Amino acid sequence: MKGLIKKDFLLVKSNIKVLVILFIVCGFMSFNGEMNLSFALPFMSVVIMISTFGYDAYNKWDAYVIAFPDGRKNNIKSKYIATIMLLLMITIGVSIITAIITYIKDNTLDFGAILEMALAMLSTTIIMQSIMYPIIYKFGLEKARIGIFVGVFGLGFLASLISKFVDFNPIIQHLDMLNNYWIFILPIATILLLYISYKISEKVYKNKEF
Amino acid sequence: MNNILEVKNLSKEYNDFALKNVSFELPKGMILGFIGENGAGKTTTIKSILNIVNDYTGEINVFGMNNRKSEKAIKEDIGIVLDDMFFPEILNPTDLNVIMKDIYVNWDSKLYFKYLKEFSLPINNQIKTFSKGMRKKLEIATALSHQPKLLILDEPTSGLDPVARNEVIDIFQDFIQNEECSILLSSHITTDLEHIADYIVFINDGEILLSKTRDELLEKYGIVKCTEIEFKKISDIDLIRYRKSKYEYEVLVENKKEFNKKYSINTIDKITLEDLMVMMIKGVK
Repeated sequence: MKGLIKKDFLLVKSNIKVLVILFIVCGFMSFNGEMNLSFALPFMSVVIMISTFGYDAYNKWDAYVIAFPDGRKNNIKSKYIATIMLLLMITIGVSIITAIITYIKDNTLDFGAILEMALAMLSTTIIMQSIMYPIIYKFGLEKARIGIFVGVFGLGFLASLISKFVDFNPIIQHLDMLNNYWIFILPIATILLLYISYKISEKVYKNKEF
Repeated sequence: MNNILEVKNLSKEYNDFALKNVSFELPKGMILGFIGENGAGKTTTIKSILNIVNDYTGEINVFGMNNRKSEKAIKEDIGIVLDDMFFPEILNPTDLNVIMKDIYVNWDSKLYFKYLKEFSLPINNQIKTFSKGMRKKLEIATALSHQPKLLILDEPTSGLDPVARNEVIDIFQDFIQNEECSILLSSHITTDLEHIADYIVFINDGEILLSKTRDELLEKYGIVKCTEIEFKKISDIDLIRYRKSKYEYEVLVENKKEFNKKYSINTIDKITLEDLMVMMIKGVK
């Protein structure tokens, strides 16, 4: 499995120049207050990891890798582990840059706020990827892209339609009560969703033919 | 254990195609040429051996072990070249070494780089810059570098020029010098198999039509060329397939010598595997 994780990181490495440039650009924009670094870079990590699926699909890697010892099992596991490792690295990088920018601009360091930001960033990205990966494994990258796009806009449209007929205020008030506990709830919910996602991907992949 | 690979009654159904009771054996120290036209079932058979496809029935034993029960142990000792399936092409051969040494227990980096040098492959160029022949050589080098006992090769020489094909065939012949090793070689290029295969298994429309030693096929089988009058004298049991052209009949026969004695028809051509394939598929039964 270590070899397969390395494979994904070698693929990511081939895009490292793009990643560094984006880091610098986003850093400057964040410094000028034009963008929030903590939201831009996690999305980049999604794009980077999704691109590894693209390379895999183009070269029919999946059919090749499952001919390796334990290939079917390890291919899924390695993709999830590589994703989390990359996310952690980006989160640490973003947190350090944010801390530096804040210190230069305001001459203060609020570690609590940085930690909260890092947690929110990490969880949001993991949730996104947890939803996307089983869909990619089931339908392939091309169909999954369309499906995710349609799904996101469909849900948005549905939510706005429902909001015209249903009063969400009482629900939002109830959710407000959770505000004090989100720092505990979010990681647990994220880990749970990640686990469910992994199990679904594993099952989909087990039955998949190439 | 004399057979390195045993496939018994392998069946697998798709909507528009089925493998039907495919059976064959590959003894140690031998090369088995697996031939058939596109869509005949060669790749499906190979994928079943490697457990890449599901829901097949029958029994497959590799190194005396069931391919489902002992999948991991078996795959440690199989080298594979699959048609058009490989590493992402933005990686380079050095990257492949980094990856593969953590995949196969017996991965031998020295041997891998030795093959790359032998094949004159640049070690730091992205695979996408390689020609088709260079890619094939890289796939073969990767398949050989964990010292496998069985090589499963799906169209390994397709896209190679004659010189490169010869180099690759020499490597296969070197590999087989170790009598514990075997090769299952699926190929359209039947001339390659005529040179190196010990056994020929011919599959058509999901069924095995022929499974014999190469020498038996090439020495005993023949194509009789005769007139319509001569053709009408040939008993049904003596012809396998025939084709009618404008001026003559071509008849595929199983035993050239006996046929000659029985019918005194002298025009019996030596057969090539390509002739055999064409006659078996296009000929009338």
